[in-house]
Amino acid sequence: MKKRFSYFRWFLFLFFLLSVPFLPIGNYQLHIIIIGCIYAVMVLSLNLITGYVGELSLGNVAFFGVGAFTSALLTLGGVSFWVSFLAAGMVAGIFGSLIGYITLKLRGAYFVIVTLAFAEILRLIDTNWTSLTNGPMGLSNIPLPEIHIPYLLNITFSDKIHFYYLSLGLLLLALYVVYRLVNSRIGRAWVSIRENEDLAKSIGINAFNYALLAFVVGAIFTGLGGSVYAHYMSFIGPDVFSFSITVSMLIMLIMGGKGTIIGPIIGAFVFTALPEYLRIAQLYRLSILGIILIFAVIFLPAGIVSMPKRIISFIKERRRQFGTS
Amino acid sequence: MALLETKKLTKYFGGLGAVKDVDFLINRREIVSLIGPNGAGKTTFFNLITGFFRPTKGKIFYKEEDITNLKPHQLAVRGIIRTFQKTKVFPGVTVLEGVIMGSHLTINPHILGILSNTAATRKEEEKVRQKALDILNFLGIEYRKDILAKNLPYGEQRILEIAVALAADPELLLLDEPATGMNPEETKRVTKLIYKIREKGITVLLVEHDMNVVMGISDSIVVLDSGEVIARGLPQEIRENKEVIKAYLGEEYTHA
Repeated sequence: MKKRFSYFRWFLFLFFLLSVPFLPIGNYQLHIIIIGCIYAVMVLSLNLITGYVGELSLGNVAFFGVGAFTSALLTLGGVSFWVSFLAAGMVAGIFGSLIGYITLKLRGAYFVIVTLAFAEILRLIDTNWTSLTNGPMGLSNIPLPEIHIPYLLNITFSDKIHFYYLSLGLLLLALYVVYRLVNSRIGRAWVSIRENEDLAKSIGINAFNYALLAFVVGAIFTGLGGSVYAHYMSFIGPDVFSFSITVSMLIMLIMGGKGTIIGPIIGAFVFTALPEYLRIAQLYRLSILGIILIFAVIFLPAGIVSMPKRIISFIKERRRQFGTS
Repeated sequence: MALLETKKLTKYFGGLGAVKDVDFLINRREIVSLIGPNGAGKTTFFNLITGFFRPTKGKIFYKEEDITNLKPHQLAVRGIIRTFQKTKVFPGVTVLEGVIMGSHLTINPHILGILSNTAATRKEEEKVRQKALDILNFLGIEYRKDILAKNLPYGEQRILEIAVALAADPELLLLDEPATGMNPEETKRVTKLIYKIREKGITVLLVEHDMNVVMGISDSIVVLDSGEVIARGLPQEIRENKEVIKAYLGEEYTHA
């Protein structure tokens, strides 16, 4: 009985998500939601290595860029979007294995620096390999995805609604995979490495292999996110490798709540939307964002997800102090 | 039959010989203690046979297999599980979750089973949870199962460490000073536990300073001093060994 109710709730929630484009919201809002979905996929991915295994990666943006360029170049060469989309995930996964294999021998600050170096190297390669990537000019006119089934279905993704469903689908897939992995023996192994690596090894956990798995799964989904982004924007340049994306992802992860499932998603949407809506403050936009961040770090060190718990314990503390006598 | 055997095991740190030419042997279902003054090389010896250090020379055999250069996680797969002198727990997870983490090697679900959450995977999850509860029950800290490991009092953290090790299904359990920092009451409890662990068919190698623990439960004792074995034998023999008394036990133990 209880279970059926919970299925019903999930169904309602899914129905709500599917009906979002038909709510009275403008194109601009839908655009922010789409970008939020793509960021959410990337932050969920980053959360695996940084939130669960506990190693801060500044290199994940590399997989976003690699995925975006793989997909763009293939479709510009005539390959269908869906094949290119999968290829983007695969190529990003291969890059993830190679970079992870080298960097995960290192821990702590060394890992942070080397992952950052890899992201910067790829950005420079992208900028300078003009014959392939068109360098700073970037690639434009990236084809729109199509679904073409003869006599049945013929859709070209020419509207934001299409991209909303595409990015939502990717987000739900990433969410499902991450949820299952985290709540399994694999997720426990990740957390054990974060909590105490020596103890993890002593009970038979191959720390390097498990860290690599987290890194590669993250790379694949980040690459898929890059693919969706490239086709949505229809233009990409070297800034898909830029450090500012890394900074955004980290803010989203830490402010949302690292090492949780829902935290990265909340963080991604809040910190995609916030800078946009702060545009009304014009010149003061970034200063206000900075102040919000400082206060959030002080009062919510465990992220937005910890807010309900903190409020409840605050109220309880108040009640206890002033008594109901 | 020897379960674990070392031959001329040696470890140098620069010019300092921490463990020198140690021949050591432990049989199935024995409790063997390693004693000696501080700096004698007991923990180094532990780190060598659990793969945390690589020996400078010498060999280690486990069930006649050469395991000299294997890594800690590879040794754990073979059933060699250790605890640490400086308490190591998973601080940020609950006692129960920590013990479930310890059972990592005892289940092996398929990745597709995990992704599709099959009945078999769920059953295995339930099994390790139940097993973790049994272990906590066995060690008498079940009532602490929902507390974060870092919030446990020190003595119970040491017990939790043993619980995590037991969850990994050891054949050979190496305990590095399990009674250190415990009060007499807790020490008695640990001593009883080690007996009970042996009754389960687990072989125990113990490093311990508390002679009340060592003399009471050991089948045999090995004494290290400056990295070398200076004596080995039954507790009674060790107690009367002149060299051991001089190096470690002190005069009062001859009358104990």
